[in-house]
Amino acid sequence: MIQLTTPISEEAASSLQVGDTVEISGYILCGRDAVLPRVLKMIENGRASELGVDLRGQVIFHTAVSPAGVGPTSSNKLEIESSIEPLSKAGIKLHLGKGELHRETIEALAKYNAVYAVIPPVTALLGSKTSEAKVLAFPELGMEALHIIKVDRYPAIIGAAHGRSIYEK
Amino acid sequence: MKNDIISLVRDTLVEAGSSFREDKKAAYKRAIAAETNEKAKWVLQTVLENAEAAEKNHSPLCDDTGIPHLVLEIGPDCALSGRMLDDIREGVRQGLRKLPGRPMGIMGDDSRRIDQSGGLNPDPAGVEPAPILIRRCEENVLRLHILMFGGGPAIRAKTYRVFHKHNTQLVLDEIVAWAKESVAQLGCSPCTLAVGVGRSHFEATSLMLQAQVDGRYDKQSEMEAEITRRVNEANIGPLGLGGNTSVIATFMKVGPQRASGVRIVCVRPTCCFEPRIATVDLEQA
Repeated sequence: MIQLTTPISEEAASSLQVGDTVEISGYILCGRDAVLPRVLKMIENGRASELGVDLRGQVIFHTAVSPAGVGPTSSNKLEIESSIEPLSKAGIKLHLGKGELHRETIEALAKYNAVYAVIPPVTALLGSKTSEAKVLAFPELGMEALHIIKVDRYPAIIGAAHGRSIYEK
Repeated sequence: MKNDIISLVRDTLVEAGSSFREDKKAAYKRAIAAETNEKAKWVLQTVLENAEAAEKNHSPLCDDTGIPHLVLEIGPDCALSGRMLDDIREGVRQGLRKLPGRPMGIMGDDSRRIDQSGGLNPDPAGVEPAPILIRRCEENVLRLHILMFGGGPAIRAKTYRVFHKHNTQLVLDEIVAWAKESVAQLGCSPCTLAVGVGRSHFEATSLMLQAQVDGRYDKQSEMEAEITRRVNEANIGPLGLGGNTSVIATFMKVGPQRASGVRIVCVRPTCCFEPRIATVDLEQA
């Protein structure tokens, strides 16, 4: 089991291989369909610093954050998967979600030395591993706002890295 | 009686959103023992551990706590009033607050509810249940089943016509083909496939819902077992990571059929936590 703590270094990201099992600790970002296009717009407009967090080395977890807890939504939904390349370019090192990604996305991850990890949708277990949650931006989106949470050893499997995918048959 | 119904429905909704039935736990244990792919085995064990933690804490199995779907069974001498339906509705509201359900009710007029520009209701009770399904039962009870339907299976479910050419096998082939495609896309497998075969889209979907009420993991028909076996041969595996356990079981309900060359088939690849279901007797005659 590989331990990853945020922020993730270039070297740590580069060492990850498809099929590795990892545990992720530290502060991570949470966002999904509604907020990710807005985050991208801020990056495009040179306003990323207003998000209140340095994106370099960060993890983005494709989830809502609500009183019900957290759990991955499908990362291959249009608005989520299309965020993976530009967010990797902006410094995100690990995209955390579930579901198979398209070939172009897998190649984009490799281009920016970023990876995709699959996390089981185990909300009850993740609840005991999550200690803080705060809205960073777009509070009007409620549970779909950009959140930052503190996590302790979230379990995941590396699903895409170095141009390879765990879903390849 | 009013408070009894409200509190019974409230607690049953919490149970539906936070626990596995015993036959489902046993099915997972059998799958873990039989699975040879180590990653698949790890996912199955993690899903079962999650179910045990959720049941212990009475907390949600999944953060997508789902849309309540209700099936109400009425025995021969039982009566249902509008006030009882109001109490059931109030029990659902209270259950969503207690679970707690994800606050994902969309506000606004028709257009704003479609494009989600009206914002989210911050109250978990703002999630409206789907229209209630009422059916007859033989026992002299008023029995309510509560099922919580998540969004992932809804994206991948399919209801469409199949030309049977007077051959049941052709319909099964089509169900297996749809299921292989949808299970691979789901992301939250292993699935329980819920299948309804009827004369209209409404009827097929209603049968798919009833299949989840009546289906049992320890009692599979020949057709159900065949569908499960053939989808599992595709090696999709839990979370799509490979392995033999893409589908834990199939729950299939075949209704009356039309004198015609067509059957309407509904296939919902319910996720690893579904059917999220609990049952309560509200009244005995």
